[in-house]
Amino acid sequence: MKASKFLLAILIITFFSLLYVHQQTEIFKLAYQGQKQLVRLQDLLDENAILRYNIEKGSSLAFIGNKAYEDEDFEIPHSYRLVRLNPQEELEVSTAPGPEKNIFVRILGIKRQAEAQTLNP
Amino acid sequence: MNIINPRRRINAVFLFFFIFLLFCIARLLFIQFFRLKYFSEIARRQHNLFVELEPRRGTIYDSNLRPQAVNISADSLYASPKDIADKDKEGIIEKLKPILGLDEAYLKDRLYRKKSFIWIARKIEPWQKKAIEGLNIGGLGFLKESKRCYPNAYLASHIIGFAGLDNVGLEGIELEYDSYLKGESGWAVLLRDARQKKLNLWEKMLLPRDGYDLVLTIDEVIQFIAERELEKVFKKYRAKAASIVVLNPHTGEILALANQPNYDLNKYREAPLDSRRNRAICDLFEPGSVFKIVTASAALEEGKINEKKKIFCENGSYKYATHVLHDHRPHGWLTFREIIELSSNIGISKVAQILGEDLLYEYIKRFGFGWKLGIDLPGEISGMIREPRHWSKISITAIPMGQEVGVTVLQLASAISVIANGGQLMEPYLVKKIIDRYGETIKEFSPVMVNKVISTETASRIKDILRGVVDSGTGQLAKIKGVSLAGKTGTAQKLEANGAYSHDKFMASFIGFAPLEDPVIAVAVVVDEPRPYYFGGVVAAPVFKNVVRDVLKYLKTSKPAEEILALK
Repeated sequence: MKASKFLLAILIITFFSLLYVHQQTEIFKLAYQGQKQLVRLQDLLDENAILRYNIEKGSSLAFIGNKAYEDEDFEIPHSYRLVRLNPQEELEVSTAPGPEKNIFVRILGIKRQAEAQTLNP
Repeated sequence: MNIINPRRRINAVFLFFFIFLLFCIARLLFIQFFRLKYFSEIARRQHNLFVELEPRRGTIYDSNLRPQAVNISADSLYASPKDIADKDKEGIIEKLKPILGLDEAYLKDRLYRKKSFIWIARKIEPWQKKAIEGLNIGGLGFLKESKRCYPNAYLASHIIGFAGLDNVGLEGIELEYDSYLKGESGWAVLLRDARQKKLNLWEKMLLPRDGYDLVLTIDEVIQFIAERELEKVFKKYRAKAASIVVLNPHTGEILALANQPNYDLNKYREAPLDSRRNRAICDLFEPGSVFKIVTASAALEEGKINEKKKIFCENGSYKYATHVLHDHRPHGWLTFREIIELSSNIGISKVAQILGEDLLYEYIKRFGFGWKLGIDLPGEISGMIREPRHWSKISITAIPMGQEVGVTVLQLASAISVIANGGQLMEPYLVKKIIDRYGETIKEFSPVMVNKVISTETASRIKDILRGVVDSGTGQLAKIKGVSLAGKTGTAQKLEANGAYSHDKFMASFIGFAPLEDPVIAVAVVVDEPRPYYFGGVVAAPVFKNVVRDVLKYLKTSKPAEEILALK
């Protein structure tokens, strides 16, 4: 009797000990995975920052402006007109349009027409 | 007869193991109770790693929130010389030399040191990292660091400045506002495994505070226009140097500031020191005829003269004390207005004599000359103007025409702004506000009026006279069709080493503002030693014209920054 109780106690203690060890190893496994993900995330963020920087660099006036002035002899126009674009209300499409128009409207989904309003410069 | 007793042998073995068990228990108790601290410390050092968390350096934006200085991640190459065999080092040096572009002696010095960690090259380009990784060399590794980059290269280089290898501001705004930009480091105590690999588990952590972002007053487009025109005149006239300042005359906001020669901020180490000088605020020069606006304004303000008063200009040659003054063209009787329009040296010196030394000196100081204006950039100088008690007999004739006085381009721009805005000297500034990474304002800077120089009425009268300079005077090359503007030309002889005025080295300048009725920009352009032409009206006035024309067009179409922030 005493031996069986002793064995039972040993079994229970062993079970919980193993459970604890398993828990700890799982934590560390997750930590490893987390670290991997963190490194991957950091790499992606760095790549994103570098790409954004390259876009800024490529679209900067120092780059584009000089190219335009040197290569194309670009000049800011002497005379100009400012035009404001106003989106209008959705136009009603005719019930019996020509087939091309229908396809055109359907494919490109053009439902609005902008009206140009000239402003005095 | 010996009888072998198996029970005694069993007991002996049992006793041996029992003693051993007692010894183990005693050892365990000893370690657990008496050596607990010692072994815990070793374990802690092995398992924990204290790392400093680098804060993100703040971004610098222009007034329309376009980034001018950003941070990106860059790899830095290190070596563990102790882990590299000596016989392999020569081969490694030969492979790294063409990729990194470094000296062989430098690489040798690095690799032959008795260290376990040494930097080889900091913040290298991505293609360099890829090339070195492809070589598969043991004992080399990469660490990520934050690198300061400038997407516009040379644009606004003298304003923005640069940060060094360790992201510490060394010049310009980067230096002046380093305490805001750098942020505060954090730290973390991370766990690591038996192979010293970091785990995503930390015991304690203090998050870093990222640096604040700066929103400048400069507009990237206006800066580009100013730099483009400045570069054109610098190259066309093979000048020694050139500077331009574009201000909002009502607020003192600097819309553009540029110098030639300039440099690429991403390659600041390769740039000669001369290119890095912010000449607009730290170079002193005698301004010449542009300085006449001071005497003219003072005389009108004090009621000593009016526009129609006639003064005899000695037909181009005027002896005063021991000195003979000349006009570039002989004039007889000129009205005060004509004296300014035609830039008569003799005429203005006579006006100054009417005004008197003390009053003239007072107005020179009021206009911001002879002291620092307080721009938020390092290196500003105060210029030079002596007190009247130190003036010579001829100073009263020299100073009004811009000799015997030292000024900076910024001071000239501020002075013409006084006339443009109705008589107030505004403190020039470059930073509009400081924001955090979420866009919340930490600090905002407002226009500061330094002092009231002249009355609005006097400013209006001077404006009218300066319009005449452009309409019919020496500044006609600054005319823009459809735009009314005002300005003053200047052509100043430079001093030779022996103290005499040079006959072939000049400073050509033009200061002005537009539109006349309600000025939105004031501009000062100075070109150092242009050749073969050197007159301010020929060299500098067209720069003013081109800048003002394009800037006015741009300002009509630009969006305010608030709209952009709302979209962000």
